[in-house]
Amino acid sequence: MPGVVAQVEKRLAELRVHHAEGTRTSVMTHVAWAPPQWAAAARRTLAGLEELHPSRTILLFPDARKADGIAVDVELKCFTIPGSEREVCSEVIKLRLGGKRTRVPGSIVQPLLITDLPTFCRWRGLPPWGRPELEQLVDVCDRLVVDSSEWRGLPGAYTKLAALFDRIAVSDIAWGRSVGWRGRLVSLWPDVKSITTLSVTGPKADALLLAGWLRSRLRRPVRLSHRSATELERIAVDGEPVPPPRGAALSASDLLSAELDVFGRDPIYEAAVTAAR
Amino acid sequence: MSSADDGNPLLEGLRLRRSPDACAIVIFGATGDLTRRKIFPALYALALRRLLPERFGVVGVARTEQTAKQWIAEMKQAVREHARDPFEARVWRELADGMRYVATDFAEDEGEDRVVEALNDLDRQHGCSGNRLYYLAVPPAAFETIVNELGERRSTEGWIRLIVEKPFGHDRASAHRLNGILQQHFTENEIFRIDHYLGKETVQNMLALRFANGIFEPIWNRQFIDHVQITVGESIGIEGRAAFYERAGVIRDVFQNHLLQLVALTAMEPPIDFTADSVRNEKVKVLRSLHTPGPKSVVRGQYARGYIEGEEVAGYREEPGVAGDSTTETYLAAKLYVDNWRWADTPFYVRVGKRLPRRETTIAIQFQRAPHPPFAEIAGEGLRPNVLLIHVQPDEGVSLAIGAKVPGAGMSIRTVHMDFLYGGAFRTSLPEAYERLILDAMLGDATLFTRSDEVDEQWGLVDAIVAAWQRDRPNFPNYPAGSWGPPNANELIRRDGRSWRRH
Repeated sequence: MPGVVAQVEKRLAELRVHHAEGTRTSVMTHVAWAPPQWAAAARRTLAGLEELHPSRTILLFPDARKADGIAVDVELKCFTIPGSEREVCSEVIKLRLGGKRTRVPGSIVQPLLITDLPTFCRWRGLPPWGRPELEQLVDVCDRLVVDSSEWRGLPGAYTKLAALFDRIAVSDIAWGRSVGWRGRLVSLWPDVKSITTLSVTGPKADALLLAGWLRSRLRRPVRLSHRSATELERIAVDGEPVPPPRGAALSASDLLSAELDVFGRDPIYEAAVTAAR
Repeated sequence: MSSADDGNPLLEGLRLRRSPDACAIVIFGATGDLTRRKIFPALYALALRRLLPERFGVVGVARTEQTAKQWIAEMKQAVREHARDPFEARVWRELADGMRYVATDFAEDEGEDRVVEALNDLDRQHGCSGNRLYYLAVPPAAFETIVNELGERRSTEGWIRLIVEKPFGHDRASAHRLNGILQQHFTENEIFRIDHYLGKETVQNMLALRFANGIFEPIWNRQFIDHVQITVGESIGIEGRAAFYERAGVIRDVFQNHLLQLVALTAMEPPIDFTADSVRNEKVKVLRSLHTPGPKSVVRGQYARGYIEGEEVAGYREEPGVAGDSTTETYLAAKLYVDNWRWADTPFYVRVGKRLPRRETTIAIQFQRAPHPPFAEIAGEGLRPNVLLIHVQPDEGVSLAIGAKVPGAGMSIRTVHMDFLYGGAFRTSLPEAYERLILDAMLGDATLFTRSDEVDEQWGLVDAIVAAWQRDRPNFPNYPAGSWGPPNANELIRRDGRSWRRH
């Protein structure tokens, strides 16, 4: 039985013969870690993403309860280029990791990365802090993309996340989701500089990050009053409602897509995380 | 925003798009083809993407007697027909809410009063803050009257900017005169002379390709480049614009502006930064150093009856409104030289024409041949020089032609293309040039607009070519529609031992 890399390469070569007219284009390698409870959501998000960011996508579906081994499934996703009869094709490599293979993803992913292009790792759910699978992927990827609104144990988990900041650039979809509201808060300057209480109706992560952002930027204590909701619905500064941003909220794919356009560390986010605790 | 602007610490790191100030745009020529096909679809695209200021309004000014309601309905239909995005009623309602229409002859004082009233109304109801962007989408004949009216009535409140469409003059003297009229009332940084080619992503990518990639700049000179070919081809005819085209010809319609801008961007030195003056300073140096070695290095042509995509099409002289003995050129090929240290003796072959086999704008940088390929002659039969091909339109992107070994025994070499396609790598549709340019004008960024000294130099070259044409009468028509131009265009390049790119 050939190794996983040989299997992937053989299958890709076969597929390219069938799509000889398709242009192979990649702007990154996109690694997604999706444990069983997140597998369906990961597939849905990627469905809206592949067309926007031609990339080699490596989908890792770990399940330690399954038998030891790696199941390989490779496909080419081809999309017609607007205004042209030509197609562009992205490679999607699905790897189902069973048993102890779930603890060694670094050695599986590393030979499959596209040389010289950035590698983004989307981690679904709460990362297993300190565990080998996370540690290895942090070492091989350039940017870790999380959505802290998927986590339990906030704000404590932010301490663990902050410990990664010197090792890997981090994007948080919960942070990206609030950009419109942050724009609104910016426009309240200079009145907002004496804020004492921020009231947020929305996901807990979004609320904590907004409060942390105001504390770190304004260098003053800001009390957070939070009411839970699935989306950011309402924000008030010292009881005064903030007008909502224009336009509809972005979809999960759009939010992830926006994070995949960002390179390098985000010191403002890092400071917000640190002050959110 | 990357810095704490205005001392607001919340701004730092916030990836907000640059947002224009509240303003009103006044379109003179509001019922014209340009407004319907380009300006309104661009405004709609900007509105859809929330790139317009929140406080915004449009005043349409035209001679056509109609109500605001009728004009708004007409523009709505134009957006439905020509916008690149699906129509969204909500977006249109927001835009239409700030639309006003004034029917007037541009010379009437009373009409100008009503334009001012409409603007004041927008200031009151939509908070446009007295900021004005005037768009002159009118024939050149109306230009002077409008500019003088605007200049005499300019308010001291808010900023004022003026977008001026091409053609900017008919020759160097008339361009001087137009610049004089403009500069009587407006400063250079208030004037935005539009050349929509500069708003194209692929044209701007020329700057990215050259100055963001370390591998190209060291070889971007006479030492490594054999010659440059620039093609601006259109398969369409004059599309009912006989009155304009008979006076302009291809030299004033495309060569003077779009084509010379492509030459300038290809040949310019690296600017010290990407500000309007730095970029334009470098372009104007190229335009100033351009020359054509003599009348034999310029070929003009006019299309005869022929076939385009299987359809028979009329010759130029058969087009409605064109004189039966017209000597207006619809094709021009030329050999140009850029007299500077980087490009001395490196020819730039350019050709531009109507009724060519297909619509195509490309810049081909042909490098010197490999000095001594170590393969037997037979192996290199298919080997051609490397060519870096910039596809401005269609199939926007960049290709590099390289020699590669054909698989199998022996050492047979073939030319293959490595392609970067915009639509492939960046899966968002490319914005229309007018979207970028109108937004830049609202933001006060003139980098992608033409400065008065650029226009002056462009006309200088055109005047020199046209002066030589006065001495002979061309034997027109001299190329059939659907061909790549007259035979002597081939001769122009063949004399130098080169050939036009194969199509």
